[in-house]
Amino acid sequence: MDRREAIRRTAWLMGGVVSAPAIMGVLNGCTAKPTLDWKPEFLSEDQAATITDIAEIIIPKTDTPGAKDAGVPGFIDIMLKDVYSKEDQDRFINGLKAFDEEADKSYGDPFNELDEDQKTAFVKKLHEEAIAIEKSENKPEKRPFILMMKELTMLGFFTSEAGATQVLQYDAVPGAYKGCIPLSEAGNGKTWAT
Amino acid sequence: MFLNTDAEKENTYDAIVVGTGISGGWAAMELCNKGLKTLVLERGRMVKHPDYPTATKDPWDFPNADRPTQEDLKKQEKQNRTGYTVRQSSKHWFVNDLENPYTEVKRFDWMRGYHVGGRSIMWGRQSYRWSPMDFEANAKDGIGVDWPIRYNDLAPWYDKVESWIGVSGNKDGLPQLPDGNFLPPMELNCVELDLKKSVGDKFGRALTIGRTAHATAPLPHSPQRGTCQFRNLCIRGCPYGGYFSSNSSTLPAAEKTGNMTLRPNSVVYELIYDDSKGRATGVKVLDAESGEQMEFYAKVIFLCASTFGSTFIMLNSVSSRFPNGFGNDSDQLGRNIMDHHLSVGAAAEVDGYQDQYYSGRRANGFYIPRYRNIGNDKRDYIRGFGYQGGASRQGWSSLVKELSIGADLKEAVGKPGKWTVGMGGFGEILPYAENRVTLNKDLKDKDGLPTLTFDAELKENEYKMRKDMANDAAEMLSAAGFKNVVTYDNKIGVGLGIHEMGTARMGKDPKTSVLNKWNQVHACKNVFVTDGSAMTSAACQNPSLTYMALTARAVDYAVSELNKRNI
Repeated sequence: MDRREAIRRTAWLMGGVVSAPAIMGVLNGCTAKPTLDWKPEFLSEDQAATITDIAEIIIPKTDTPGAKDAGVPGFIDIMLKDVYSKEDQDRFINGLKAFDEEADKSYGDPFNELDEDQKTAFVKKLHEEAIAIEKSENKPEKRPFILMMKELTMLGFFTSEAGATQVLQYDAVPGAYKGCIPLSEAGNGKTWAT
Repeated sequence: MFLNTDAEKENTYDAIVVGTGISGGWAAMELCNKGLKTLVLERGRMVKHPDYPTATKDPWDFPNADRPTQEDLKKQEKQNRTGYTVRQSSKHWFVNDLENPYTEVKRFDWMRGYHVGGRSIMWGRQSYRWSPMDFEANAKDGIGVDWPIRYNDLAPWYDKVESWIGVSGNKDGLPQLPDGNFLPPMELNCVELDLKKSVGDKFGRALTIGRTAHATAPLPHSPQRGTCQFRNLCIRGCPYGGYFSSNSSTLPAAEKTGNMTLRPNSVVYELIYDDSKGRATGVKVLDAESGEQMEFYAKVIFLCASTFGSTFIMLNSVSSRFPNGFGNDSDQLGRNIMDHHLSVGAAAEVDGYQDQYYSGRRANGFYIPRYRNIGNDKRDYIRGFGYQGGASRQGWSSLVKELSIGADLKEAVGKPGKWTVGMGGFGEILPYAENRVTLNKDLKDKDGLPTLTFDAELKENEYKMRKDMANDAAEMLSAAGFKNVVTYDNKIGVGLGIHEMGTARMGKDPKTSVLNKWNQVHACKNVFVTDGSAMTSAACQNPSLTYMALTARAVDYAVSELNKRNI
């Protein structure tokens, strides 16, 4: 189904008519600003929208919460602002800019204006390439942008309540230590969060 | 000076203890137990058990996944050198380096906790006895000076301290690591059990569970303490009283006697010496909150302010009798800085064990006691090292560099990862007279007091030892069939072991030592120093248990001497 048809059908389902200018606007790519439901302190709104989407692609909502549910985009913004050194901040922002330029080159539009399938495919492609280099002899000294994003996303998610308690398992007060037991007897058998 | 005798009386006690850390807490408790009205002076703020601000928080309660911010690192650059102390959950226990500066001629790592309880809140809790050979080593090797005591002098005090603080461990029957009175040992996990077997079968070496000051059974004599809940958040302080600290154990006991006056925010900066009496009459204190200077008096004084804390007080206590620092006839005060050198060892990946895991978080690892330069083993260096290590299954962080992403990634992290295992050595540093700390009056701290300048480094014996510490670890891991074995040997500063000691050493001869066999200052018999500064050699075992045993023994002697009117 192409985008024109999808919008038309959605409008019909919602009982309304989509105006011609609105459709034209969407289809021509002069999009409204992406809507964020949080206010970034370090990143621009556009940058925040980009990293939000990347984070959600890396850890999507499934039958358990995803990166957005767990507040990971906001976490990444504050990590960049308060924890990262100036050098690493610059490296991240430059990487984000290059990421967007690459998206434009590949798809003809900046990342924020691509559709969901294109965004996912793009991130996965870059990720696969970066992993291949990471495992090769040419592994760079500093990780590329996409892996910085992956690392930050995973750090934020698996230290979040949703990540630690639903995707991993977490026991605040174990009470005892059992050193050598079958996996099936170690809680619910998932990886311990801490 | 006109003396207001009422004020003087008000400020007079039977005993003064400077410091409330691992040794100060014991001095306070034992002096109070023996009926002495004891003033306990702590330079830092009050911390009362069980008020540890971060102790029961979950991972998501901390900003930035508990990582330090750039602002944090500006204030605690030196405290951050360990790589684990400056976290949102623990940074409040470590000093502000900008307010408490020091000078390092060569890189020197000095980790400090200035509050009631000191580093007994954040310590690693590993508790091993020294063996007879450790006390004999200097005499045998012609190094430094001979210890004025032997293992048998300290054994009854090891007994007393171990039983009282609660040490969980296994009786291993090893001459180089005497057994003690242990609470039930913690378990080794599946991979560690196999490594233990391999190390024993293939090398004839011991691998045992760490001996750690955790209550793995109740301690009826310390009713305010609970048992270890295996949360492994010890560095935050334990509201369950699961491990030994001054706050959870010795200070409550001292308080119960009714004989203790605990005065926090009291920086002792000088001993008051009366040459006509040949004794110290008291201490000078700077109130850290008001800036007021005051004096307190006592018949006997215990310096337990930590190695460099006590040494600072003595270096800063200059008089016509002691122009080079209190009790420093030997010129050894401030010299012979020792520590355990570390950050060297090996790690490996383990194939298999996929269906095996653990539950609970064990705040302890395995221990491989020293085997080098024992019996017929002779290396190109003297003394030796022990290993602390552990095995575990990788968590989510190992998947950053793997292909899975999206829903697949969520599924993959839910499966416990590959087993890995590692061990790092703790090596003995010899006493070198030129490894020293001196007073620096040109750089002042936030209270306007002089600071310390450190000039210490590892030398040939230590560097040769480190080669074995890396290679032996790799060899043992390889022999156990583990894969991708890698060694590491990082550049460190002396002090990184956080076992600094030696700067007011015990010895037989007042010409070459500061303290006698009772931890008494040779030249002033009513002053005792029982923290790490007293140590004559460093051995390779974690030293806190020995500090506590020396303290209990010294208090017993001091009180009997007081009763005999000898001091």
